[in-house]
Amino acid sequence: MGNLGSGCAVLPRSLPTILILLSCVFGLSLGTELSFVTCGSVLKLLNIKHNVRLHSHDVRYGSGSGQQSVTGVTAVEDSNSYWSVRGTSDALCHRGTPVKCEQTIRLTHVNTGRNLHSHYFASPLSSNQEVSAFGDEGEGDHLDEWTVLCGGSVWKREEAVRFRHKATDALLSVTGEQYGRPIHGQREVHAMSSPSQHSLWKAMEGIFMKPSENPMGSRDYSHLHTEF
Amino acid sequence: MATKGMNLCNVCCLLLYVITAVLAGRDFYQILGVSKSASIRDIKKAYRKLALQLHPDRNPDDPKAQDKFADLGAAYEVLSDEEKRKQYDTYGEDGLKEGHHGSHNDIFSSFFGDFGFMFGGNRQQQDRNIPRGNDITLDLEVTLEEVYSGNFVEVVRVKPVAKEAPGKRKCNCRQEMRTTQLGPGRFQMTQEMVCDECPNVKLVNEERTLEVEIEQGVRDEMEYPFIGEGEPHIDGEPGDLRFRIKVLKHPLFERRGDDLYTNVTISLVEALIGFEMDIVHLDGHKVHIVRDKITKPGARMWKKGEGLPNFDNINIRGSLIITFDVEFPQTQLDEPQKEALIKMFLSLGIQALKRHS
Repeated sequence: MGNLGSGCAVLPRSLPTILILLSCVFGLSLGTELSFVTCGSVLKLLNIKHNVRLHSHDVRYGSGSGQQSVTGVTAVEDSNSYWSVRGTSDALCHRGTPVKCEQTIRLTHVNTGRNLHSHYFASPLSSNQEVSAFGDEGEGDHLDEWTVLCGGSVWKREEAVRFRHKATDALLSVTGEQYGRPIHGQREVHAMSSPSQHSLWKAMEGIFMKPSENPMGSRDYSHLHTEF
Repeated sequence: MATKGMNLCNVCCLLLYVITAVLAGRDFYQILGVSKSASIRDIKKAYRKLALQLHPDRNPDDPKAQDKFADLGAAYEVLSDEEKRKQYDTYGEDGLKEGHHGSHNDIFSSFFGDFGFMFGGNRQQQDRNIPRGNDITLDLEVTLEEVYSGNFVEVVRVKPVAKEAPGKRKCNCRQEMRTTQLGPGRFQMTQEMVCDECPNVKLVNEERTLEVEIEQGVRDEMEYPFIGEGEPHIDGEPGDLRFRIKVLKHPLFERRGDDLYTNVTISLVEALIGFEMDIVHLDGHKVHIVRDKITKPGARMWKKGEGLPNFDNINIRGSLIITFDVEFPQTQLDEPQKEALIKMFLSLGIQALKRHS
């Protein structure tokens, strides 16, 4: 973790102070072993404004599409909040490759194998655009594709990012509406067309794949078509 | 005379060796069983294999087990770090500038997980009433190249860890039945939530690097557990983290067990007169193929020992099976070519004309 000590605010006046400043800066950058999100990583996404994590479970919407529901939960330790970052069916993303800003990805719910999905159905509580979990064993359709919107060149773990649904241009958001039974207290997750504080998300707990060295002899086969 | 000189020489050499051995400290390369030019991957692989064998819990009868295990940890700590390894190679163990930093426990748990070590990856729960956090099982996609040569994947685990906080909190909450007396002979039973009082904790995210080994010959769906690296439980133990191997399809090679299948296309002339070629294998080495007979389309060639290593015994390998496809000319032949072809085959006496009259 970075050491955000008060030493950073001290103006460099002499060598020791400069050294402190330098070590402060290095401390910040060395505080983590991997500062960006990579393909193959499994993570929890926190909605910054409402402090809930993106979540799904084997409960279907009672209206709209009737597909598996996606909600926001307040609990930190819930294994149903893990999502796998994957490329699309057209553009594979190799394990450990950093996710670029403006890249299109799929988010697959680890426990149910369904992909974060949206379509032109109304969400049950706020009548925004419904967001569901769709597919089987990680394979759904083109409505599973989301574009990562971030500031720099790659998706940094510390950064607040947005997710734009590729087919409808709507942004993944939470505005605070809460469900009753049987998922009492969980917030509605939906998609909205205009960006706001409600559509900012951050990568939190998870298992992040570091880029790995390919074993000797690995080659790039992208120019070949398969013979099988 | 010569023998006496040689004996003196031998004694001197022995003395010198003993002195240097004593002064130089431990031989880390020998402890890990690797050569001086071993790659970082070789070192990780050696450590992982030996750590399982030498763990003191596994050798309760060996009084030297703790020392051997400590040596192993020290060896890995130095040889896995580029800087420290350079210093060690030049100056020996005594030349290492600082003392050992991370405890061996840290190194060990980055390969196997955190929470007290239980062999076989199975938990022996002494008290079944301790609540446990969820297990996390995630797919780890691996390439066929990695299955052939092996690899290590570094993974950063970010998880909430309970830290002390001021005050108290409610814990072990459960429903209990309470009986209250409403009057003489009249009782009421109600359900009540009862909690214990525990020291307060807060969850703080911490991160650590884990080393997942992709062992040679690993099969689809095999799992690698990391004890205690799963979801935490605020009142109990954390669950486990399991990596489930998923072998990706390869554009050139198809895996069937330990055998590899591949297709090669040869020309019509090569099919008739023979050919010589190299196939580049998964680790870059070339498999040389020579054929001096006629090759029919669909013909197969078996290359023993060029398949994948067997997971249980990497000294045994499967075979590489090459299926030949023959490419026919793309453009149609014109009349003069057809006539010349018929003439040529006739004159050469090659049986390549009409089968039926």
